[in-house]
Amino acid sequence: MSLIPPWDALHPLVVHFPIALLIVAPLFVVAALVWRRGSSWLLIAALAIMVLGTIGALLAVSTGESAGELAERTPAVAAVLEEHEELAETTRNVFLGLTALFAAVVVASHVLPRRWGSRMRPGVLPALQIVFLALYGGGVVLLVNAAHQGGRLVHEFGVTAMLSPSAQPGPPPIERTAAHGDDD
Amino acid sequence: MLATRPLSVLVAVATGALFVANGTASPQTTPPRQQQQQRDRLRQHDPYSTEVDAAVSAEQEKYLKATTLENLQTAYDGESNAANRYLAFAKKADQEGYGKVGSLFRAAARAEQIHAANHAEVIKTLGAVPKAEIVQPEVKTTKENLEVAISGELAERQTMYPAMMVRARQDGQRQAIRSFNFAMTAEQGHADLYRKALTNLESWRGGPVDFFVCTVCGYTVEKIDFRKCPSCFIPAEEYVKVS
Repeated sequence: MSLIPPWDALHPLVVHFPIALLIVAPLFVVAALVWRRGSSWLLIAALAIMVLGTIGALLAVSTGESAGELAERTPAVAAVLEEHEELAETTRNVFLGLTALFAAVVVASHVLPRRWGSRMRPGVLPALQIVFLALYGGGVVLLVNAAHQGGRLVHEFGVTAMLSPSAQPGPPPIERTAAHGDDD
Repeated sequence: MLATRPLSVLVAVATGALFVANGTASPQTTPPRQQQQQRDRLRQHDPYSTEVDAAVSAEQEKYLKATTLENLQTAYDGESNAANRYLAFAKKADQEGYGKVGSLFRAAARAEQIHAANHAEVIKTLGAVPKAEIVQPEVKTTKENLEVAISGELAERQTMYPAMMVRARQDGQRQAIRSFNFAMTAEQGHADLYRKALTNLESWRGGPVDFFVCTVCGYTVEKIDFRKCPSCFIPAEEYVKVS
């Protein structure tokens, strides 16, 4: 018995955090555009959620690679697994960049003015937020696709992480051409 | 109903994720119900082709009844002998002028050595010593050697490793599953390459050519058109060239 699950077994637990957090984060940026008076806190909250989501993405990729080593392959499973892994890695890198960019925007708009008194010209911050949201949209598309391929592995092909010896009663990966499963 | 569902999920997560057995002990006997589960799982296996009967063979029953450690020893012995056999086949291919086939056999031999080393590592972590009895390989013509190699790879891919994986999963032997899975994935690739060589044998005459072998999992390819190994996700830079 072990109190700490093996790294590969953590993938199903970890993977849902970045999906949820990174999809929710831009809603705070939108809220900051609408409610200007509370925009400082909303932007800081968005940044905090983005940081947590990106950490989640780092963990999801790492645990996913370990879980993938235990997944039995068929040609179809191998193709989806490869696509899932590549998309997940790209998504992680994109959100690392987006989070760093957003941190720079928050620092430039809220931290620097308080410290040195220099203020952004009116309209610059909302414009930056809108540009950022457009870029972020691309990241979300990647995220959703990476998650969808993970969902296909589980729900379409029956590939599951190994949680414990008794938790592997299902059949091995199967070849199917049925409609896609749910996102995961 | 709705209120109890999240609770049951929480309990499942708590019990499933936090109290995972990393057991190293392999049960010596398999209860009848587990045996039935093993058979059900294997009957659905064989995803690659219809070349073998989907029913569980006597050979597979043997691996299902053995302990994971015994299976690791069997696999170690098999991989060690395969590496030795392919090196002999490579020499014969070179003598017959099939340089590209010789390179393929050498690449596959390198891969089998990697599999043997992976299995040996797991055997050592289980407190045993890896043992292999190397037998003198029977070398025929290159065409016949390719046929022997294909049947050997398919037997491992479709019969031996699937059964060993089922057994290792039941024993919760993650390291063994990883090692078996790496080998099983690579063996299918070898069988495909051997088939390609057999089909185009005359065009595989000439000097040696390059093949690439993953140093972690033994996955073997003719060219690297990926950033990470499709089998074990190690960066493609970790591949070695074999000619």
